[in-house]
Amino acid sequence: MSGWDGFLHGLSVAAQPDVLIYCMFGVLLGTFVGVLPGIGAMATISLLLPITYYLSPEAALVMLAGVYYGSQYGGAVASILLRLPGTPQSAVTTLDGYPLAQQGRAGVALFTSMVSSFAGSMIGIFVLIVLSGALTRAAVAFGAAEYAAMMLLGLVAASTVGAKAPAKGLAMVVLGLILGCVGTDVNSGAQRFTFGQTELMDGINLVALAMGLFGVAEVIANIRKAERTGVPPHVALRDLMPSRAELRRIPFPALRGASLGSFFGALPGTGSTISSFLAYAAERRISRRPEQFGKGAIEGIAGPEAANNSAAISAFVPTLALGIPGDPIMALMLGALVIHGVQPGPLMLEARPDMFWGLIASFGIGNLLLLVLNLPLIGIWVSMLRIPFRWLYPAILIFVCLGVYSVRGASFDIFAVALIGVIGYALMLARFNPALLLLGFVLGPLIETNLRRALLIGRGDPMVFLQRPLAAAFIIAAAGLIVMSLVQVIRRKGTPAEPAS
Amino acid sequence: MFISRRAALLGAAALSLCTPVFAQEASWPSQPQHVYVGFPAGSSPDLLARIVTEPLAEKLGQPFVIENKPGAGGIIGIQQMLNAKDQENSFATTINGPLTTAPRLTPSLGYDVAADIAPVTLIATSPLVLVVAADFTAEDLSGFVEAAGEEPEALAYGSVGQGSGAHLTAELFSDRAGVEMLHIPFTSYAEVTTAIIGHEIDAGFMAPSAAMQYVEAGKLRILGITSQEPFAQAPGVPVMAGQAGLPEDFRAELWNAFIAPADTDPAVIDQLSTDINAILDDETVQQRLLDMGWQAAGGTPEDLEKRIAEDTKVWGSVLDRIDAKD
Amino acid sequence: MKRDIPDLAGGLILAAIGLFVTFYSVEQYDIGTMRRMGPGFFPVLLGGTLSVLGLIIALPALGRQGEAIRVAWKECLAVLAAILVFAAGLNSLGLVLATLISVLIATLATPNRRIGWRILLAGIVTTLSVGVFSFGLKMTVPLWPGL
Repeated sequence: MSGWDGFLHGLSVAAQPDVLIYCMFGVLLGTFVGVLPGIGAMATISLLLPITYYLSPEAALVMLAGVYYGSQYGGAVASILLRLPGTPQSAVTTLDGYPLAQQGRAGVALFTSMVSSFAGSMIGIFVLIVLSGALTRAAVAFGAAEYAAMMLLGLVAASTVGAKAPAKGLAMVVLGLILGCVGTDVNSGAQRFTFGQTELMDGINLVALAMGLFGVAEVIANIRKAERTGVPPHVALRDLMPSRAELRRIPFPALRGASLGSFFGALPGTGSTISSFLAYAAERRISRRPEQFGKGAIEGIAGPEAANNSAAISAFVPTLALGIPGDPIMALMLGALVIHGVQPGPLMLEARPDMFWGLIASFGIGNLLLLVLNLPLIGIWVSMLRIPFRWLYPAILIFVCLGVYSVRGASFDIFAVALIGVIGYALMLARFNPALLLLGFVLGPLIETNLRRALLIGRGDPMVFLQRPLAAAFIIAAAGLIVMSLVQVIRRKGTPAEPAS
Repeated sequence: MFISRRAALLGAAALSLCTPVFAQEASWPSQPQHVYVGFPAGSSPDLLARIVTEPLAEKLGQPFVIENKPGAGGIIGIQQMLNAKDQENSFATTINGPLTTAPRLTPSLGYDVAADIAPVTLIATSPLVLVVAADFTAEDLSGFVEAAGEEPEALAYGSVGQGSGAHLTAELFSDRAGVEMLHIPFTSYAEVTTAIIGHEIDAGFMAPSAAMQYVEAGKLRILGITSQEPFAQAPGVPVMAGQAGLPEDFRAELWNAFIAPADTDPAVIDQLSTDINAILDDETVQQRLLDMGWQAAGGTPEDLEKRIAEDTKVWGSVLDRIDAKD
Repeated sequence: MKRDIPDLAGGLILAAIGLFVTFYSVEQYDIGTMRRMGPGFFPVLLGGTLSVLGLIIALPALGRQGEAIRVAWKECLAVLAAILVFAAGLNSLGLVLATLISVLIATLATPNRRIGWRILLAGIVTTLSVGVFSFGLKMTVPLWPGL
């Protein structure tokens, strides 16, 4: 069955009333839990999983997938309004979304994020239909050497995010990489930096890290500030919408972001994290106003949001066609399939076309629903900012704690949030960028494992990274980026002295 | 909404079954039971626990709540069972690792298998299959051993982690066949199969369910199975024992068992063991397990205790060999 | 003379963390070889890098003036105490009491409010958390002590 026939067939599956209802329920629930600080798609899906016993496999998967991408819409809301990202991807959205909200332009930020998310998903679906076969082959062609090289490129690109103080940005990435080492070493089975705590054997809980660094730190910093400044003034409806000039700044970043996202998302691993950071770095590099990034640049929201939504779609390719889950959420999806006796793998496309294409078609319907639902809600979200912070922050704290606890039912993780929160607050005071720490943390284990695996497979020969064309291309791109940055630094030095800094 | 429907079902089951149960066993179970599983919801050990506890709840008239406490290869689930406040109503299902190899591999284990854990019954076992790419040069197991024996580390195999069943089985195989292979640790069978198909590595031991689809698609071949008997899920696959220089008693199986805290009332353990064995005799239950690659096993608490002791010894010697090599 | 305290202190702390990681890894873990890197290889490399970066951040800060920073000690303490109490109490006190107490502690950071307001807020948040997590999402967590 070709892509388009499959998709049309899928539409007939996804448009069945019972599937449609669960799709709607999923995206609604996803938006809701995405907005709630702390609890995200992962906890929700694992709590929902037993319920799916009672649904048809199509309805079950469509609903769970709806929670997944619906939570990204909701997550962007929390990132923009409260600087509370639930995932590393939405951490990128805080970089420019939160400053915009602080300037009273939350509506514009939300609008940009929703429209870009929608565009990203649609482009993702289109790419999937046209290239599903090629994407599967690409994922198989990716070996350890390619992964290690790709992650390296991702890190190099991302560390330019903190271009104002490169050493501080790099230090955060490295600190993240170190935190990523905590836990059981895949290659040797050694327990690293666990200090005898069994709870640390699987590493630091990602949700605890994200919530501590951003959520708790932000709450501490904001209590006094919010009491002093009071609530923001009422915003006129006109100011909720972007101006025409701002609207023009959305399409191209969204298109570029979506292309990056569709490609990297199809690679099992953390494609969507890399793609959102890469999209941000790319927009910043080609922008004529790079100094606006970090202070509320529209492009800094549009690119990454489109990227992570298209990546969320193409991430289903390796999950369904290879049985390789790209992240813990995809692993849960696999579990849901297995519950229903569907074995993901190379035969899935032929054996269960209803399932595969029905799911893809439901992405289209679900994202349309999300756009229609969320655009009118922008006004409500923005007016939420008018609730005095003293009413909000205790609830935020409790929800963060419960959300972190719900991931695996460990009180240890709540204690960890407290400690990480203090560290996050200290980093904020000293103007270090926690988003880069999070990136290092996510990529660290993957880089290390794949680098060591590649060397093992190559029987110790470092040339493996240059002999394989794809790996070599990534290495050359990374080297090119480094050279470009160096050239810029040297040029800046060459120009007449800046005012003494 | 659906959970409440499920609760209602359980409630109905409780009502209809309560009376006879109370007649036999006055005190237990009088409360909801907790079954700790050291793996996330939707994982294979989790599904297996649900398949067994659903009929168990109907039989005993109390809900069996699955508590997913994933982490550390299943160790956290057992720790949580032992730390539960309600010791009388807390149990666990676990794979073999936390009971056999974990005491060796994990310094901060926090429990003593012999002293802290009361075996209840084996639930199911799963053999492993040796898998190579469809275009691998050797035709059969003897050819594979020959290729592996050309020089040390001539072939590389993947596993799902240092000390995992797949790793230890491959080392046991290498030892018995007299070859030396290069171990490449991965984190999931799916990663291993992709690496084999992409010709990054040559082979791997894995659960039959992880391999069968790729075999049907003509991308992988199975050279043998580690059980003593042929396995229904891998039809036509030859048993490895006795072939290519392997001894007749060659066997490597993963298993899953039901356990309780050591101070659980022996009467409760007996009842659970009897009831679970009755459930495992049911053909639909057997088929559901088989669909996931598990062969229903069962047995007495003593059988399980013996199995733990045997496996601890066999895998201990394999671990000695690995330690000596490093 | 005021120095750039955030960069100075931040850089030095990072350098110290880097040194600790390096020495701890050298001490505890096998470094391995190029072919078979041990578990210590990466941490040693990263620890070394971090300590160098820390110094690069800290040294220039010596000769430069920085903005003073104001630490919100009271807020920090209240938030921390609230989380710690919640973590310690969730399983023993149950969701209801743990939330009530922890919200009351968290509100200590807000000055000049009456006790009535604090109790009202604690009630609202508790209702919300029980409603969403215990009833809505069916999370398995005790509601009351000893159950």
